[in-house]
Amino acid sequence: MKFTSNPTELGQEKVGKLLLRYALPSIIAMTASSIYHITDSIFIGHGVGALALSGLAITFPLMNLAAAFGSLVGAGAATLLSIRLGQKDYDSANTILGNALTLNVLIGLSFSVLSFIFLDPILYFFGASGVTLPYARDFMEIILLGNVITHIYFGLNAMLRSSGRPEKSMFATVATMVINLILNPLFIFGFQWGIKGSAWATVISQTVMLVWQLKFFSNKSGFIYLQKKTLKLQKKIVTDALSIGMSPFLMNAVSCLIVIVINQGLLRTGGDLAVGAYGIVNRIAYLFVMVVLGLNQGMQPIAGYNFGARLYKRVNEVLKITTILATGVTTFGFLFANLFPEAFASMFTNDKELIDLSVNGLRIVFLSYPIIGFQMVTANFFQSIGMVGKAIFMSLSRQLLFLLPCLLIFPRIWGIDGVWYSMPASDLISSIVAAILLVQHFRQFKHKEQEEENVTKEYREQIELQPNAKEG
Amino acid sequence: MRKLEENMNTNFVVNIGRQLGSGGRQIGQLLAERLAISFYDKELITLAAKQSGLQEEVFERPDEKSRYTLTGGLLGLKGPALDMGFSRNYLWNELLFKIQSDVIRELGHEKSCIFVGRCADYILREHPRALNLFINADLDDRVKRVITNYKLTSKEKATDLIERMDKRRAGYYNYYSNKKWGAAESYHLCINSSVLGIEGTVDFIEGFVKQKFQLQ
Repeated sequence: MKFTSNPTELGQEKVGKLLLRYALPSIIAMTASSIYHITDSIFIGHGVGALALSGLAITFPLMNLAAAFGSLVGAGAATLLSIRLGQKDYDSANTILGNALTLNVLIGLSFSVLSFIFLDPILYFFGASGVTLPYARDFMEIILLGNVITHIYFGLNAMLRSSGRPEKSMFATVATMVINLILNPLFIFGFQWGIKGSAWATVISQTVMLVWQLKFFSNKSGFIYLQKKTLKLQKKIVTDALSIGMSPFLMNAVSCLIVIVINQGLLRTGGDLAVGAYGIVNRIAYLFVMVVLGLNQGMQPIAGYNFGARLYKRVNEVLKITTILATGVTTFGFLFANLFPEAFASMFTNDKELIDLSVNGLRIVFLSYPIIGFQMVTANFFQSIGMVGKAIFMSLSRQLLFLLPCLLIFPRIWGIDGVWYSMPASDLISSIVAAILLVQHFRQFKHKEQEEENVTKEYREQIELQPNAKEG
Repeated sequence: MRKLEENMNTNFVVNIGRQLGSGGRQIGQLLAERLAISFYDKELITLAAKQSGLQEEVFERPDEKSRYTLTGGLLGLKGPALDMGFSRNYLWNELLFKIQSDVIRELGHEKSCIFVGRCADYILREHPRALNLFINADLDDRVKRVITNYKLTSKEKATDLIERMDKRRAGYYNYYSNKKWGAAESYHLCINSSVLGIEGTVDFIEGFVKQKFQLQ
């Protein structure tokens, strides 16, 4: 939630215009990372083979877990940094930057070492078979080698964003995507490195951009830059950062757990290729989910501010516009997945069996997409207006509370389709819950809206009374 | 800008941190009257609300209202793990803190004043003429004062409130400033108001302030 200028513009400017301005950067960044993963899968699917896609899908939970540990440090340190920068306290800000770097190195290294030692048992637990394990292991070994780089790269990118340089962070994201896009075909088709080539492309593209970030952060004319003396960990910074990072960490850990259960279920009911089919379905589904998440990030400051200013009409307006846009995006996904599922699936592979499995998965998983945009926006809406309990409950309901029981029961009755149907079923139940909570919320606030007209008038007067408030 | 700098060389600020029920607010008010300077405690919230267009209750949330009820009630999650990040809604509180600190900085640069709470000592750490105080008191005195001020019915309720508020104030201060709440090294003077009583403490601090800023 960044406010570049006077926050009062959030109460005055046209809602649609504000949403566009706040959401667009997030949408671009989110889509870029999603496209990154899609292109990876495409090159592996065509260049290495169908079973390699299954191997790749098995690494998802481990990659999720690595990202979870990254956000444990990154999210917290970035929040602390922006507080200190808001107070122009550059000394403390620099210490946070240095401490975050050290923490990233420590956690990244520990994660790599532990995962390396137990790599095979971990991958088996995540849904590997004797056939797919070699692919997963080949890929993961290189990713784990570069894990420290990945951690620092993502950590510094979060720091760039919160130090008021979101355009730099966006550039880094897009640049990694482009470098990866160039190296992937070179390594896979040119050098015939197989699935390892894709892993190297990832590690190298992040290394290049890490060097670029380090160059930026060693420029001593900037407000914050890396200094040796700031690298020593300080207890207060570490505990503050980790306690803020704990909830994003747990959310990521939950999604890791769910992917493991899905992989295991698919392996049991449909074999190795079914796991690969989930890899394909997951990549495509995420593209649409990411756009909605970007919209959500744009909505947060607008809903939050106007709720705090009691401009409820504007709160409702931003909720309405965001819901319509999100539903549009996910419905678009639903239509494509159901009208042209073969086109989607054959982007990733030529294997007839894998295409059939993926087409079936796409059709079922996207069934709930026309309504899921609404659920996600509603959850985020509650978070924006400070009703955090409801927000956590709703996020968890879709991704864990309703999904896990479905995933444990359905496959026993309907086999592989049971795994796929678990997802729309959980989406449907959690959307109904979201609708109930939202209706309840509006009932409670109906009488408050009647105050709105007076408050709006009051608000206008307040703003007009202090035109030069920001000067002096 | 030049005028501001001149102001800052003749003006001074006194920042008061305090335990709940220590009489800190009252001491600050009396001190402001005697020195004939402005006093800001809750008034800061009104100003911050005016400046930002937000309602006053929005600003009261982070340090006055419980931030644990919603999450705790719904999910039964009282542990620090899930609670920390979500229920505090960090990014939002960060903005509220920024708005309040802009107000404090503007006032502190404009005229002499006394601030109670809200990390004013950290926010004004670059002010050339600032004194930072912390006021505590014996528990018995605090309990008595809290019972009267908050119209509580029992000692237990007062002790409970004292514990919770101290914890919250410490949390707020330690999070937003780079110092530790209530620790001697964070302040220029720490004083127990039970020793000299409210009036006596005001006398003592008045002398301290006058000597430091060479007022007569």
